[in-house]
Amino acid sequence: MKMIEIEKMNKSFGELKVLNNINLEVNQGEVISIIGPSGSGKSTLLRCLIGLEQPDEGSIKIEGIPVKTSKEVYRKMGMVFQSFNLFPHKTVLGNIIEAPLVVNKAEREKTIELAEELLAKVGLLDKKDTYPSQLSGGQKQRVAIARALAMQPDIMLFDEPTSSLDPELVGEVLNVIRDLARDRITMLVVTHEMGFAREVSDRVVFMDQGKIIADTTPDRIFKIPEHKRIKSFLEKIL
Amino acid sequence: MNYILNVTTFILKGSIITFELYFATALFSVILGVLGALGKISGFKWLKTILGFYTWVFRGTPLLLQLFFAYYGLPVIGITLKPFTAAVLTFILNYGAYLTEIFRAGIESIDKGQYEAARVLGMNYRQTMFRIIIPQTVKRVLPPTSNEAINLVKDSALVAAIGMGDLLRAAKQIVTRDFNITPFIIAAIFYLVISSVIVKVFNKLEEKYSVYE
Ligand SMILES: Nc1ncnc2c1ncn2[C@@H]1O[C@H](COP(=O)(O)OP(=O)(O)OP(=O)(O)O)[C@@H](O)[C@H]1O
Ligand SMILES: [Mg+2]
Repeated sequence: MKMIEIEKMNKSFGELKVLNNINLEVNQGEVISIIGPSGSGKSTLLRCLIGLEQPDEGSIKIEGIPVKTSKEVYRKMGMVFQSFNLFPHKTVLGNIIEAPLVVNKAEREKTIELAEELLAKVGLLDKKDTYPSQLSGGQKQRVAIARALAMQPDIMLFDEPTSSLDPELVGEVLNVIRDLARDRITMLVVTHEMGFAREVSDRVVFMDQGKIIADTTPDRIFKIPEHKRIKSFLEKIL
Repeated sequence: MNYILNVTTFILKGSIITFELYFATALFSVILGVLGALGKISGFKWLKTILGFYTWVFRGTPLLLQLFFAYYGLPVIGITLKPFTAAVLTFILNYGAYLTEIFRAGIESIDKGQYEAARVLGMNYRQTMFRIIIPQTVKRVLPPTSNEAINLVKDSALVAAIGMGDLLRAAKQIVTRDFNITPFIIAAIFYLVISSVIVKVFNKLEEKYSVYE
């Protein structure tokens, strides 16, 4: 089943063309890494997908439903940001149960149960009553992942989830994402972690200047980067 | 001793007006401030223009002038208000203007990532504002709001200028009558006690909100 179909998507900020004729299809259970130089439009692509930005042109379908016909389809996606964006005035548990309770009007007991399950999954059950300010970056990001999962999305979008972490904390977050990949959740991960991209993704998408320059298997993109731009990018980063 | 007791009782009676004015202003100016701030950050251009004019006028002119305008000025165009009504309306509008600006700045100081996080979790504008943004704003605006709360204690004495028998006017009446400054000292103590209680209340609130960063 096709989870995401993007066709001929364009987006400009003023004069700057940030997305240039983007076409992308993602199947159920696929893990896609999106790589590319700074400013190439990776974040904007994810933000357009989930409705934080409006594309100028093109169509987006989620599970076959055009987003233009129903805002509800955005709910099929969860997103994790580079800067965590946890709610500082709520405890870890409070962060996770907020949206299910408020948006889905879910039952409180059941939601807490689910939240605790998710916290156990990301290894933070013992922190459930702490406030975000008392957590390390890696812990914050794992809470953010649990918070997104609590809405039971079919698709998860990650925008550089480990870029603002100290190197020693990157691993714990990648492990959680790896587990999700194993559960076959459909995922789009913008990342600079090439080892991770290579290991977990089914496909790697390389973006440059608003265009998708390559969309292929990790092996191909890392072993034989035929394209000049990709080659120089990988040389710089590896 | 008896004299002091009598004077205190008399001033205490005057302070009833002060208290009424204080609480009415506090309650309604906070409501007005929240609505004003939400209006100012909303997308409605005409609303922003109107609110901009409102805060410009009320923050840019003396409260005493506004009070005179409401009490002595409005009758000229056929609107006559009782002193208390004129005072309470003026104070609410004046403090509402200051609080609008304080709350607006508070709301705008919240990171836009908070809106985005709420949005991708499916929360609508109302849910985002009332469950995510405003609760965080409360913590940030407590210190400036506490300043306003103390200013209001002192500003309330201005109503003596339109002949209202508030705390200060009660004290002044006795001073004039007895040629004795004790009433002023008693009045000062009254104001100090009220201010201190307000500071205490705000400190307690700030403590409550200090559980998170
Ligand atoms: N809201 C905005 N208004 C104006 N320009 C923007 C806006 N958001 C992004 N841009 C610009 O669009 C371009 C693409 O930005 P985007 O954040 O998508 O890049 P990116 O690939 O995610 O880069 P990075 O690796 O640095 O995160 C950049 O030049 C950026 O400055
Ligand atoms: Mg980015």
